[in-house]
Amino acid sequence: MKRFFIFVGVMLFASASVASDKDLSEFIWTNKASFHKSSSKTISPVIDSLLELNSGGTEKFLLRWLNKELWFRKSDGLVVTAKKLEKRSYEIFDVIDEQLIEVIDKKKIKQIKPNSGVRAIISSALVQFQLLNADPSIRSKTLDSIARKPEERFRVPLRKAIEIENNLKIKNRMIRLEKLLTVRFEKNISHRVEVIRSLKNDLGIDVRGVLNQIIRTALKAEKVIPDNINISQILEPETGAIDQYDFIETNHSSTTDGSFTDLDAYLMLVKEEKAPEILTQKKLKDILTQQAEIGNIKIEEAHSLDSYHKRNRVLNRLIKNGKVEPVVSREDMKNIVAQYVFYEEYAESSREVTNAATETLNVINGRVSVFSFVDLILEGLSLASIYFLAAIGLAITFGVMRVINMAHGEFIMMGAYSGYVVQLFVTNYTLSILIAIPVAFLVTFFAGIVMERLVIKKLYKRPLETLLATFGISIALQQLAKNIFGTQARPLTSPEWLDGALIFNEIISISWIRVAIFVLSIAFTIILIYILNRTRFGLETRAVTQNPSMAASMGVNPDQINMFTFGLGSGIAGIAGVGIGLYAKVTSELGNDYIVQSFMTVVVGGVGSIWGTLAGATLIGFLQKVIEWFNPSNTLAAQTYMIIFIIIFIQFRPRGIVALRGRAAGD
Amino acid sequence: MNFIKRNQSLNFVIFFFLFSLFVTIASELAMGLLSTSFVKVLGKTMMLCLAAIALDLVWGYCGILSLGHMAFFALGGYLIGMWLMYERTKEIVISAASEQLIPLTPEETKEAIGNQIFGVVGGSDIPIIWIFADSLIIHLLLIVIIPGLLALVFGWLAFRSRVTGVYLSILTQAMTLALSLYLFQNDSGLRGNNGLSGLQNIPGYGNLTQDLISVIFLWLSTFALCCGFYLASIITKSKLGNLLVGIRDDEARVRFLGYNVELYKLLIFVVTAIMAAIAGSLYYPQAGIVNPTELAPIASIYLAVWVSIGGRGKLIGAVLGAAFVSLISSFFTSGQIPNIDFWIININWVDWWLIILGLSFVSITLATQNGLFGLIEKIKERVINK
Repeated sequence: MKRFFIFVGVMLFASASVASDKDLSEFIWTNKASFHKSSSKTISPVIDSLLELNSGGTEKFLLRWLNKELWFRKSDGLVVTAKKLEKRSYEIFDVIDEQLIEVIDKKKIKQIKPNSGVRAIISSALVQFQLLNADPSIRSKTLDSIARKPEERFRVPLRKAIEIENNLKIKNRMIRLEKLLTVRFEKNISHRVEVIRSLKNDLGIDVRGVLNQIIRTALKAEKVIPDNINISQILEPETGAIDQYDFIETNHSSTTDGSFTDLDAYLMLVKEEKAPEILTQKKLKDILTQQAEIGNIKIEEAHSLDSYHKRNRVLNRLIKNGKVEPVVSREDMKNIVAQYVFYEEYAESSREVTNAATETLNVINGRVSVFSFVDLILEGLSLASIYFLAAIGLAITFGVMRVINMAHGEFIMMGAYSGYVVQLFVTNYTLSILIAIPVAFLVTFFAGIVMERLVIKKLYKRPLETLLATFGISIALQQLAKNIFGTQARPLTSPEWLDGALIFNEIISISWIRVAIFVLSIAFTIILIYILNRTRFGLETRAVTQNPSMAASMGVNPDQINMFTFGLGSGIAGIAGVGIGLYAKVTSELGNDYIVQSFMTVVVGGVGSIWGTLAGATLIGFLQKVIEWFNPSNTLAAQTYMIIFIIIFIQFRPRGIVALRGRAAGD
Repeated sequence: MNFIKRNQSLNFVIFFFLFSLFVTIASELAMGLLSTSFVKVLGKTMMLCLAAIALDLVWGYCGILSLGHMAFFALGGYLIGMWLMYERTKEIVISAASEQLIPLTPEETKEAIGNQIFGVVGGSDIPIIWIFADSLIIHLLLIVIIPGLLALVFGWLAFRSRVTGVYLSILTQAMTLALSLYLFQNDSGLRGNNGLSGLQNIPGYGNLTQDLISVIFLWLSTFALCCGFYLASIITKSKLGNLLVGIRDDEARVRFLGYNVELYKLLIFVVTAIMAAIAGSLYYPQAGIVNPTELAPIASIYLAVWVSIGGRGKLIGAVLGAAFVSLISSFFTSGQIPNIDFWIININWVDWWLIILGLSFVSITLATQNGLFGLIEKIKERVINK
């Protein structure tokens, strides 16, 4: 039904315009000279009156003009379209009704080629037509281009387009864009203020951009503040900077900490040519060199000028002798600064508008910081789950069995590469990930068992040697992976339904892969806790951990239990590798990035407890995000401080957050 | 036999003295049999041996597997490198300005040096930690003080809370990682991942050729290695040495006997850290460049690997292991060995060396407790007993 009305509307629109086609062709005829050779400076009024004609053919005409499809006949200047026939002859058509006019020699017509400035004007004139285009993607694209380059004249076509728009999503965008244009260009102050205030629930970065532009200020210096200007604040220069100034450079003491010093004030006056320049050491040296060259300073004396003090003395002598212009002293600088008032003036002249913008911006920023905090928590949670995933296998091999496995990172890497290899054979990404998880588990499970049988079993009594032997395995595995898969990163592609992000609003969003990793780590926690606490195998594992010989005397085979426990830990590292490989690049050094963090996670959390590892990962993940939040540009520093924190943390809780008590704690 | 055993350190000194003498004669200075870069490799290897002695003292004798000694080593390199780089740049700056009519003021010199050194990380101010960079004496002291202090603080924190065994290893590894991550930052004041470079030139002696410098450093390295070995053998033979072995074998028992175990552990940790730093301060002028990758935890693990392969708990073993494995590693990874291309087997040594090293390391750890040197001694014992 709705469509029908729109159809009728369009028909009406079209039929109304047919009548004015004649006017259009008349208009083109009378203004032909402007079309033949146009310049961006003079064409605007012509295009404006063209738009005022509001003819149905205008859009087509503009499009052709834009795409260089228009020609003109040299004899009378008639604007036409042309079609090439043979080598030298063209068919020419009327621009409006597209009737064939004649066949003409190429020499007698000329193509109209608007320059880039003119084309920009034409394409912005086309906007009003494109906003009404039947294709939603073109309407949407037009909105994008308006958002990129907002101009006042889009407001009227936008309002018109809003009325007949039927796509709710596009309509909302149009309304929002119209508001932003109003905020920028509206002349009626009360209406403008009203619209500004209505934006306070909008978190978009473009809204903040527009509002920030309104409250943008410029620092000015005048002897007396002029009337009728919109002042943000009057600045009182902090004294003292001139006294401390070392005259080495002019730019190094400019405001880095946000304070406005008298030196900044003076430098600003210099820039505006309201005060004489400061004589820096560099300039002093240039002056003295010049003076030495023309003979005012003896060469021997020039060679002895190796301190600022000596140079100054010579300069003062030259000034006294009238050879050099006097220079500005500290006292002069202070006096000059004292003569001026420094203030920040809004570019926007209306007080009400700037006040409304400031208030609205404060409200928005308040909400933004709340949401950023929520986002920070989400990111921390996500990082924690990644660390947990990387460390969980270690929590079993190191935490439960006390075996230091430096090759743990390489098991993660093997898992990731297993996923990659599976994807080589299974091209359906969803299916391949589902296959990759058990494959990765099996590969690393058996690798773990082999390693336990061949190496670790023989070193249970020599933990430090275990560390070194597994390190040997680690470098061998890493190099092996490098030899097989090469040094460049291999992709582990996630299925399509994991692309993109879970978006709550403009601030809070989290990629689906991270959500998946989060889910995976929760699943791991539950499965492992179930295995360790509720199954026969878990019971035997705990028994062997606490007292192997007692367990053996109760009929448990410690040898076998150790083997399977180690296999389980390694297998879980393999699955973690698939998860980590989804969001990180799969290289042979993948494991390196996680090994120290994983050990930290287990040690901080408390050895021997899955809950402890969870707590450790949470602590480390959140901590890293919080430190990064304070210093967002520097993730390296964040890691450094985090490790220092962990070293100190272990001072106070040497056994980690969740410490085992009694005999189980061992040593 | 007895004589030889008692004067093991004397034999050691004589051997290295003769060795260096031989290398000097064979170097480009005299006969030209050995290239300058190879003389440097030998000098560097000696310093790795010194670092290995340090680790052997703290690990082989006291049971503390520190994965941080290469960090102290690199720190020593950084500390000498700061002086070398600063003074060298100063020379360049002054000679560049010598043609100007008016000489540079001290401030201008500093500014120019700052621009030269820190331009690469987008700065020009000389960071506060470079305040003593123009004084060799102070920097030589700092080589002892700073790693010593770091080891003191870290060791005190760790031993006080009774962190032992593998936990301590992991903790020292974390310390190393933190230090290297810190140095990787551009605003650490030590040129970020560019590190310090141009260290092969000695300021004030710009006219010395690299041939001569390499031999000078060879002798300095020999001297340092012999001193280190002598000191270490004194320590191991003293009462302190016995105590350290006691701590290694049963810490709790030594504690119950009334000794302040933490104090002795701290002492040996700090002393060996300083030894490693001194080794580093002689290593990096021969290497020419020091950067944060040198501090990466893996370097310290490699050191432990060398000591372990050579035979820990024996000073000679540590020296042998470090020399043997580091030389053979650089030999295999330099691409000098022809690749084996036999039917379907295609072995590129550069690619396969780490695998061979890793696996042989695992098998040596499994086969013997005391590394190659332990193996040699065992065989010797059997021969003598027969």
